[in-house]
Amino acid sequence: MAGKPPRESDPRNPRLRLRALLDEDGYQEVSAYDESGMLAAIGTADGAKVVAFASDPTVQGGAMGAEGCDVVVRAYDRAVAENCPIIGIYHSGGARLQEGVGSLDAVGRIFHAMILASGRVPQISVVLGPAAGGAAYGPALTDVVILGPEGRIFVTGPDVVRTVTGETVDMARLGGPEPHGRRSGVVHVIADSERDAFDKARWLAELLGTQVESRLDEVEDRPLGEILPESPRRAYDVRPLVERVLDTPGLELHPKWAPNIITALGRLGGQAVGVVANNPLRLGGCLDSLSAEKAARFVRMCDAFGVPLVVLVDVPGYLPGVGQEWDGVVRRGAKLLHAFGECVVPRVTVVTRKAYGGAYIAMNSRSLGATKVLAWPQAQVAVMGAVAAVRILHRRRLSQVPDELKEQFELELAAEHEIVAGGLPKAMELGVVDEVVSPDATRTAIAEAIREAPARRGAHDNIPL
Amino acid sequence: MAVEIQAEMVANVWQVVAQEGDDVAEGDTVLILESMKMEIPVLAEAAGVVAEVKVTEGDVVQEGDVLAVIA
Repeated sequence: MAGKPPRESDPRNPRLRLRALLDEDGYQEVSAYDESGMLAAIGTADGAKVVAFASDPTVQGGAMGAEGCDVVVRAYDRAVAENCPIIGIYHSGGARLQEGVGSLDAVGRIFHAMILASGRVPQISVVLGPAAGGAAYGPALTDVVILGPEGRIFVTGPDVVRTVTGETVDMARLGGPEPHGRRSGVVHVIADSERDAFDKARWLAELLGTQVESRLDEVEDRPLGEILPESPRRAYDVRPLVERVLDTPGLELHPKWAPNIITALGRLGGQAVGVVANNPLRLGGCLDSLSAEKAARFVRMCDAFGVPLVVLVDVPGYLPGVGQEWDGVVRRGAKLLHAFGECVVPRVTVVTRKAYGGAYIAMNSRSLGATKVLAWPQAQVAVMGAVAAVRILHRRRLSQVPDELKEQFELELAAEHEIVAGGLPKAMELGVVDEVVSPDATRTAIAEAIREAPARRGAHDNIPL
Repeated sequence: MAVEIQAEMVANVWQVVAQEGDDVAEGDTVLILESMKMEIPVLAEAAGVVAEVKVTEGDVVQEGDVLAVIA
């Protein structure tokens, strides 16, 4: 389409952004740089092939019409044909109003291309400005959403909100880093700057997209046990443990949303891995409806792209209460069971301190097909803590004991109960724990388990659970 | 700007660590809750001065209750 040339000097122009995203060498545009509102290019990120496209906010606020949407659909075709990651840069008001329902149809075709590519090639979205309507749901259909400081994601902007509901809200509060990073879970990664957003997109493309030669046999052990507090009752932040298991600190997805479970991508012995870890510092590390949903989607993403999983377990159970039940903890918790159960990538569980109840099953247990289950020497694997168990099992006997003797009696019963029903020896006898491993020998044990398992990849999409 | 520290879950206040007027850095323990048979430290999300501690040891707090304010 002919028209006046886009404003070259505008820092928001898509050519500048695509060049900033991709390596300088080999950058090649695969669509005309015109008034369509979209520009696509193929190139590399640290040498690995990537397809990328960017909306053009210098033309009608980046609104998406039929021509621009065709550019994106062709970019998707190319990424699937090349079997490489695709990165979309969003700064767009949504569908072009003046094109009417034709633009809705066109935006819908982008969605369809994304859905058909789901689980086949990694899809990463970088949102740098307002992304409304269709430009909001586009990123939401992809595997990972990165939000720049000026990125705003919403179905409808503040003006429409005010007109329709009378609610007064600014763009940042409606769809900025705070609400999407902490409350909605729409955004996986908050970036400090546009440069940071591009760097993280490149890193993700590399982790999810390229299989580098791993050196799992060269992994060295590190002291991990010292991270746990002395008291088994004391909660702690699991993130330093996650960092130390990985070669270098990884990239945490959804760090502030459902923070009672950690989901991070990184490398172990050069091999890309996904780490799922309960974080006792938040909600005691309990699983709840949000954290189960967060982890389930992460597990399915890793499985779809052949990324092995390391599961660090320290979980007291599912969070009890009316709030959780009404929030659908049963329905949403089932997603995590399903995600692990269908997962075919190597997946290694390490029980560091405790694995209780239904959450024990959900955290990649043997019964769900874990490749290997390791446990640290002091770990508890049980339906519940031994004292809690004997309070139920021996309620009547305990009620007949004078109060001053009750605690002692409980402990005696608990020790007895552990021999019969809990404790690692029993778990190993049943085959639900394969090996007791010293914390400081855990890295090599994980690496060995991954190396010995066949490298496989799940044949499914990554529906935004 | 004042930052409210809220309880994430139903819990007992096990120990109040920081007192009103104390300087705290991001990540410092402000108080320790007890829930799910665990002692769960509650950390300052931002550096500042503890302007108010709204609970005392032994209190039962509900999800969303304000525990302390950091200004």
